[in-house]
Amino acid sequence: MHVWTLYAFLRVKAYCTGKLGKMACTGIRVARVLKNNTFFSNLSGLLLNPSRNTAVLIKYRVFSSRPSETENDRDPAPLFFNKEVQDLLKTLTKVDLKRVYRHRKDGEKLEPPVYKFMTDDDLEAALNEAKAKADLRLQMPPVVKKINDTPNILSNDHALQKHDTAKFVFTDITYGISNVDRFIVVRDPDGILRSADARERHRMNQIYFPLEGREVDAPKLFQEEYLMDLLEREEYEFILDLACVQFEPNDPEYHRVTETVYSYVNNMKHFNYLRSTRHFGPLAFHLAWKGNIDNLILENIQTSRLDDAVLLIQLYHKIHPTAKSAETKFEGDELKFIQSFVDNDSNNRNTLDLAIKSYVNLENAKLEVNEGIKRAHGSD
Amino acid sequence: MPKMPWHPASGTGIVTAENAKKVIRLARYGCTNRPFFHIVVMESFKEVRAPPIEQVGTFDEVVNERNEKLVSLNFERIQYWIANGAQMSKPVAELLGLSGFFPIHPRSYMLAWRNRQAADAEAAAAAAAAATAESAKQETEAKDS
Repeated sequence: MHVWTLYAFLRVKAYCTGKLGKMACTGIRVARVLKNNTFFSNLSGLLLNPSRNTAVLIKYRVFSSRPSETENDRDPAPLFFNKEVQDLLKTLTKVDLKRVYRHRKDGEKLEPPVYKFMTDDDLEAALNEAKAKADLRLQMPPVVKKINDTPNILSNDHALQKHDTAKFVFTDITYGISNVDRFIVVRDPDGILRSADARERHRMNQIYFPLEGREVDAPKLFQEEYLMDLLEREEYEFILDLACVQFEPNDPEYHRVTETVYSYVNNMKHFNYLRSTRHFGPLAFHLAWKGNIDNLILENIQTSRLDDAVLLIQLYHKIHPTAKSAETKFEGDELKFIQSFVDNDSNNRNTLDLAIKSYVNLENAKLEVNEGIKRAHGSD
Repeated sequence: MPKMPWHPASGTGIVTAENAKKVIRLARYGCTNRPFFHIVVMESFKEVRAPPIEQVGTFDEVVNERNEKLVSLNFERIQYWIANGAQMSKPVAELLGLSGFFPIHPRSYMLAWRNRQAADAEAAAAAAAAATAESAKQETEAKDS
């Protein structure tokens, strides 16, 4: 439920008569006109204009700590797969070929390196090939909504009650059907025939059509206590890779695991552990989606990655088009653009202000030193 | 190690008698004390463990730790064989009925009715036993006092 807040008392012709429907959260936030006594009882005193006993105009989300754009009912998939957002995320990932092709302890057999003499053209071709391969390796796991897990009841036969003490799970193993489309139904002991829920589907698909690396029961490391141990050992990439293998991206468990890792990484500011891996895009998207990009911006400023900070803020504006700073467009001055975000939408304004100040001081000091060196060399 | 059959589990695809009656039935391929059934299409005169024409599913009647019996059915091929005049054994027809593919088999209804009767009788017996125990207790209490 949105936090409904009072915006202004205005006399408006009342057109909303009945129930409070679900609101579209696009465009202007002028929301809804409520007729007398048609709203929540606990807010009615607030919402009614007592002097005139008329309807009031509501603006929602104004004092909300979390914008409604990140509510659970909004699907991140269309935004995530938007081409501009994908480009932003890919640029933010900062592909470093050395890191992409580093040796990983994943049980793969190590091959001895091959040294070759190459012409410049050959070298360029080889590099391009490596870059294309890196693109494949860095394909981001999709960010989609959690699956709606209400089983669909197909038939309810009371005469079949107690036909068995166990459930019957029927899986259609017809050749050439994808795991998503496959018919899986369950006959319960009380005679109800229903479609299988997500956990049952996951299990049946893995039993009859096993995927390599995935297990029928999720490994214990995804349980809270073991997960914290792994996080303390900074094995972020390992957890996220395994979660990609074990769960579907719309699985509530996948959401829980990734959100735990992302929030831990965000709190510890260990963004560099995930940079140049396939998980940095979803991490940045998640933080922007939750409106919690201050730590990442802080890290960007502290490591002189102003261009990254700008991209991140642009991503934030794409996801939250109603943010106050969204009206400021980037016009070449990075610090000004970041400052406008910090002034309007930041949760952690003081720290970011300080970081920007110290960055400016550092830049000035660097300039001075450079000039001093030039003067000492007599090049002026 | 259980004794494994010599033919492929998916079936041989060989129809030895073209005009013979085909039947879709359960063939037990588990080992001792661990039944596991293949749902196979074969000529009805053949032995159950003979090489089948085709395997169209499996049935694991042993309940797993989540209280489930797992059935897999290749509905496309089952439709094909039914269209070609294949008969159905009763257990397979019951499974297909429970899965919602066929109407519920009468034997499923009979089984359910009998199970309910048995459960009711058991509940009534338990209630009667409890009542007699209660009355006996009251009698002894009355004697003591």
